[in-house]
Parts: sequence; structure tokens; C-alpha cells
Amino acid sequence: MASANTKTISKEEELKKFSIMTMLRRVLPIIGLIAIFILFNVLTGGRMMSNMNLVLSQVYVTMIAAMGVFFIMSMGGLDFSQGSILGLSSIVVCMISKTNIALAIVGGIATGAAIGAINGFFYINRKIKSFIVTICTMFLFRGIIKYLTTDAPIGGSALLINYDTTTLKLTCTLIILIIGFIAFRYTKFGTYLKAIGAGEKAAKFAGIRTDRMKFLIYVLAGAITGFAAFINVIKVGSVTSSGGNQLETQILIALVLGGMPISGGANVRFENIIVGSLLYIVLNSGLTMIGITTQMLQLIQGVIFLVFVAVFADRKSLQVIK
Amino acid sequence: MSDEIRLQVKNLCKSFGVTKAVQNVSFNINKGEVHALIGENGSGKSTLTNMLTGIHPIDSGTFILDGKEIHPKNQVEANDEGVSIIVQELGTLSGLTVAENIFLGHEDKFVKYGIKNTNAMNKEADNLLEKYGFSRIKASHMIDEYNFEDRKLVEIVKATYFSPKIVVIDETTTALSQEGREELYKHMERIRSEGNTIIFISHDLPEILDKSDTITVLRDGVYIDTVKSKDMSEDDLKKLMVGREVTGKYYRTDYDEKISNEVVLSAKNVTVPGIIENVSFDLHKGEILGFGGLSESGMHEVGKAIFGASFDREGSVTLADGTQINDIPTAIKHSIAYTSKDRDNESVVMNQSIGDNICLPSLDKLASGPLRLLSDKKLRAFAGKYAKEISVKMVNTDQFVSELSGGNKQKVVLARWIGKDSDIIVLDSPTRGIDIKVKQDIYQLMDQMRKSGKSIIMISEELMELIGMCDRIIIMRDGKLNGELMRSPDMDENSLISKMV
Repeated sequence: MASANTKTISKEEELKKFSIMTMLRRVLPIIGLIAIFILFNVLTGGRMMSNMNLVLSQVYVTMIAAMGVFFIMSMGGLDFSQGSILGLSSIVVCMISKTNIALAIVGGIATGAAIGAINGFFYINRKIKSFIVTICTMFLFRGIIKYLTTDAPIGGSALLINYDTTTLKLTCTLIILIIGFIAFRYTKFGTYLKAIGAGEKAAKFAGIRTDRMKFLIYVLAGAITGFAAFINVIKVGSVTSSGGNQLETQILIALVLGGMPISGGANVRFENIIVGSLLYIVLNSGLTMIGITTQMLQLIQGVIFLVFVAVFADRKSLQVIK
Repeated sequence: MSDEIRLQVKNLCKSFGVTKAVQNVSFNINKGEVHALIGENGSGKSTLTNMLTGIHPIDSGTFILDGKEIHPKNQVEANDEGVSIIVQELGTLSGLTVAENIFLGHEDKFVKYGIKNTNAMNKEADNLLEKYGFSRIKASHMIDEYNFEDRKLVEIVKATYFSPKIVVIDETTTALSQEGREELYKHMERIRSEGNTIIFISHDLPEILDKSDTITVLRDGVYIDTVKSKDMSEDDLKKLMVGREVTGKYYRTDYDEKISNEVVLSAKNVTVPGIIENVSFDLHKGEILGFGGLSESGMHEVGKAIFGASFDREGSVTLADGTQINDIPTAIKHSIAYTSKDRDNESVVMNQSIGDNICLPSLDKLASGPLRLLSDKKLRAFAGKYAKEISVKMVNTDQFVSELSGGNKQKVVLARWIGKDSDIIVLDSPTRGIDIKVKQDIYQLMDQMRKSGKSIIMISEELMELIGMCDRIIIMRDGKLNGELMRSPDMDENSLISKMV
């Protein structure tokens, strides 16, 4: 009996070790964020702190759009069409803003949702892997954006500039994040998403309407980015052919930096979005501020991305990327 | 059978994370014997043979084969040392031909000047298949054209054609029908008479006693004893495996209870093209209705069809209140539960916590307030309550299901449906690959559910448990109903088999 006791104790100790590892994984991005923030402040002599508004102004769009992609990735999918969704929705926002600004916001959301629906249709009804579908739609809608902006960039209403305040952008971002957080963390929505990511067939047999859920999430992610288009437009005022370019990679890097397992499933946490987006922006602006060239910037980003993927990849479930 | 030693297992250890799967195990295996390895789930049988055949690396300890230490790094190296394995699940690779599967890893002997001679390979494979008496399987066909059973036969050829010194057969028989088993027994006998050795893993104790010469018992990764089969009875083995006398009831013992007239579910002309045809039956309140047949008879699809999980189903499944069941969410909402035969893919969400798995279908019930919010505390209490009620062996409900043994995974699934308080429970092969202790728990649970007025459909390939547990048994053949038997103490396996084939 005594030996059995010692056995269970040692088991508990080892389990403690395991939970320390998971704890470490959990706090590593946060520690990273703080460390990098301090590092760049020292390197730039406090310039980053004093320009915080400018630094943050880049984060809103990424953070809002990242939430939609976070939902998609939780259930094991991917979305590479986010940049094109942002671009096209921004064009729609600009065009409608000349008649009515409220209508423009709705228009942007509707455009994003429509593209999301196209993604969802091919992914679910035609059973094509999500990254292939969204790479196709990325090129398709990028083409349309280029066509629409051939002659000149599309400008929005001059009134839009009135909305370009930190308060508004910050409030919008916070409201969206809070709604997303509550839905993900405290309703069945989040549990369902994680269950689909961790084992779709079993989720289906537990009564989740997986196909409907997957479709709606693509529509939702599109709609969220469609709203982010409004925030984008009030900042930049007009859309060129490269509007929204590379947003998808920014989001992907941000989420992975935030500690999100790329295959989704039970280990995803809502904090991944916030920590990741901030980490990405601080890293980017910091590197720029200390005078790294754009080319070098991409190289460094690539290295950091690889390291984080290696640390956070959930190798056991990697084969389930859909 | 001789007393010459073929394989010495010395101080073998293996851990997976915190679990010590095999602890300091030592024993000998002789030439020309069928050496059975038994123990409950998680006792380390498969881990041990997986190390022998190069599937898992060895932590410490040695295997000495014919006086020579071996450390195979993969299955091909193990083959070269003279050790092969037939695994529990599918061991053939899709997308390759039969011949390519048989010679996987040994293609070199057909390669000349860097070019593979496919014809020679196919011819050789066809010869082998003919020699084994499986000439209906063609070497040049894709393996995917054959069913599970035939693919297992191909694996027998693959694992034994080169007369290995040791062949490991890991719970293969549970996946095979009676004919397939006979085929396998024939080849086991042949290998044994050639002076080679078989390591045989099975949960079926009568089979073990009948087919093996020597039996080694493991418990929780520790070596218990090696005994001669002829000196043993089933009860002796159970005692060795569990470590104590197995007490209490196993199957039901009542025989005179009347089935209620109240119909809770009625299936009418249920057809799933190509699998089942015109299946109609009524399920009564408080009854255990069994479905038996060969695994290809379509009985597994019946469970899916009732649960609304079949693709392209025709006909109707109607509840007492007139509700039609056509999809899974409707089925769950109206108190139907289902545990699949394919436990890892269809029953539990593997990479998720025990708690989430248990709460999944009950989230609607657990949500509160106008926003339908969930509270962590409530979820944890709910999962903990039902996991404890059915005594899932776990650290806590945050543990991932993928870390549990087969029997405990099944318990998690059952806890989920008990938590949902379902009234109609469809159990497909509920005790597949599960040891006697958990089996006993499951049977007792079924009996309790029945007594509290729940209705159970039990689909099983194990005839004894159907006979032992069911009020009525429906036998299926070729996708159709082929007779019905009422509970009786005189029923034996033969009366069922005669309707199955």
C-alpha cells in the first residue's frame, strides 16, 4: 500500500511538471511582448513610448480581422483571402461613403460576408480544402480590386476624416473583442468551434451541425473583416490596387506569435489574438524605428515566425488541418 | 513444442510521459510455441510487442533473439531480424497494390539496375497468395478494392511469407469474422509446427486457452506470471489479470421479465443504399434489444440510421410522440444517445479534455441567463459528477481524452450520455477491445439503465454478450433482418450463428 502511495505522488509531481510546461507556453507570448516592448523602448531611447498612438493606429485593423481568422483557425481551417476581403470591402465603403456613411459600414460588412460565403460554399459544399479555396479567392478578388483601381485609387467621402480618432477606433476594437471574447469563452459557440478543430467527426456525432457552423464562421470572419474595412478607410482615405495586401500573412503571423496552435482545437485561447497582434505590431514598428530596411524586416519576421511555429505547433494534431 | 529459448525479454522499461507503460519486465519465450500475452487495457501488452517490432523505441532493457541482442528501429529492420507483426487496426497502406503492400520495405529484391520489376513482384505475390489459399486476392489490384477482412488476410501473408522467427498477432481476431479467424488459426498452427514462435495478444480468454501453449500475464505494466495453458481455467486467468477474485454479476441473470408493450421508437423500412435494406422494428420501453450478425451484415449501419447519421437514408425512424429522426441534432434533442464502434473518430473528440467531451451535448441545458452564458464552475461540476459516477480513471477532467485507454474512453462517452439523461441508448460494440473489469461495469450500467426505464439497442459481434444481456436479439444477414430470438436460458451461440451465415 505504501509503495502504491509513493507511486501516485510521483505521478502527481510529474503531472505538475507537465502543467508547468503548458503554463510556460501560455505565458511565453506575454513575457515576449513585455520584453520586446522594453527592448525597443531602450533601443529607440523611449521614442516608441512617445509614439504609442502611431504604433497602435496600425493594430486595430489587424486585431479586428484576426478575430475572425481566429475563429476559423480554432476549427482547424485557414483563410488566405482576408487581404482581398479587406481591399474589396474598403472599395465598397469608399464608394458608398459618398452617399451615406452608416450605409457604407453596412456595405463593407455585407461585401465581406458575401466573400466569406463564397469561401464557405466551396469549402463545405464542394469539399475543397480551405487553404486552397481561400488562396483561389485571394487571387480572384485581388484581380477585381486591381481592375476597379486601374485608372485611379478609389477615394472615400471627405467626411470620413472626421471619424479618424483614436477614441473611435479603440472603442470599436474593444467592443468587437469583448463581444467575441464572451461568445468564445462563455457560450457554446467557443466549445463547438474547438470541438470541430479537435475532431470534426466526433463533434458531429455529439450533435454539432458542423457543416452549417463552418459555413457561418467563414461568413462571420468575412463580415468582421468587412467592418475592419471601415476602420481601414477612415485611416487611409482611399484604396489603391494594393489595399489590404498581405493582411492574411500579418494575421497568421500575429496569431502564431500569440501562441495559437496552427491546427486549432482545444488549446486555442482568446488571448492569442490580442497578445499576438500587439506583439506583431510592436515588433514591426520597433524594427522600423531602429532603422531596419523593409527587406531585412521580412527576413527577421520569417525567422521569428519559424521559431514560434516550432514552439507552439501541436504536432499530434497537425495532420487535421482542413 | 521444444524447451529451447527463442526470445529473452530482459528488464524492459518504457514510459509515455507520466505513464509507465512497461516496468522492468523479464521473461522467456520458447521456440515452436504460441505464447499468449494477456492483461487488462493499459497493462502494456501492445507496448511490449511494439518495442519488439520497432514501432516504439526501447527506453531501457533488452530483447535477446536466439542469443543475439536486437534493437530494431522500424518494422523493416525488425523483419530483417526475423520478427513481424499483424496489428490490431488496419496495417496495410491505401493507394498501393496488394503486391506493393506485401513487399513493403523489401522492394530491393525486385530492383535491378535501379529499376523495379513490377511484373516479377506481382508474380511472386500471386504465388504467395495462391500458396496461402487466398487466390481470389490479386496481387496487381489496389488494396483499396478489398474489404477489411481481405486486407487482414493480405497482412497475414505480409507478416509470415518470409518464415520469421517470431510473429506477433496483436488483437487481430476481434476484427475478424469467424471464417477469417479460422484462416488465421490455420496459419498460426502452420507457423508453430515449423518451429517458429507466435506471440498472441487477445482479450478473448476462451480463445487464448484454446489456441496458446503458454500464457504470460501483465498487469499495469508489471510482469505477473508465465503459466501453461493446459493448467489454467478462465477464472484462474481472470484472477491473475485483475489481481483479485472477480466477484459479482457479469451478465444479467434474470430470464422471466416481461417486455413492456410501450413502443418508444419505431423504425419503418429503413434503407441505406448498398448497406441495409427495409429494416423495420420496434423498440420497447425498458428493453435491451440486440443486433447480431457478421460485421458486414449491415448491423452497424442500423445504429447510425437510428441516430440520423446515415448518408442517404430512406424510410422512417419515429419516436413515441411522432417525432421523425432525420439528423443527429434532432436525435440528441429527443433523447437518443449513440456510441460508435469507431470510438476514436466518431465517439470521443480525442484532442479535447474529458470535461468538454462530457459536456458537449448538454451545453444547451447548462447555459443560463438571457445570453445563454456558460460558467466554468458549473461545467466542471457537471463533468466531474458524471465522470465520477461511472468511475473514469483520470487525473482530473482537464486531462485530454487521447491520454486515456480504450476502456476509459468508452466510459467518457457513456458519462456524456448519462449526463444528457438520454432515454434511448444505441450502443455499437460497447465492449470492443475492453478488459473484463470495465466490461463488467458496462454490463451492470446497462442493467441499471434498463431497470430505470431506459431502452437500449446493443449492436455487437460478440454473441455471448448479446445472449447474456438482451431481451430480444435481431439477427441480420446481407443487410436484411434474418430472424429474431427471445431471451432464454437455453439460447446458445449456435442458434444465432445458424441465422447469421
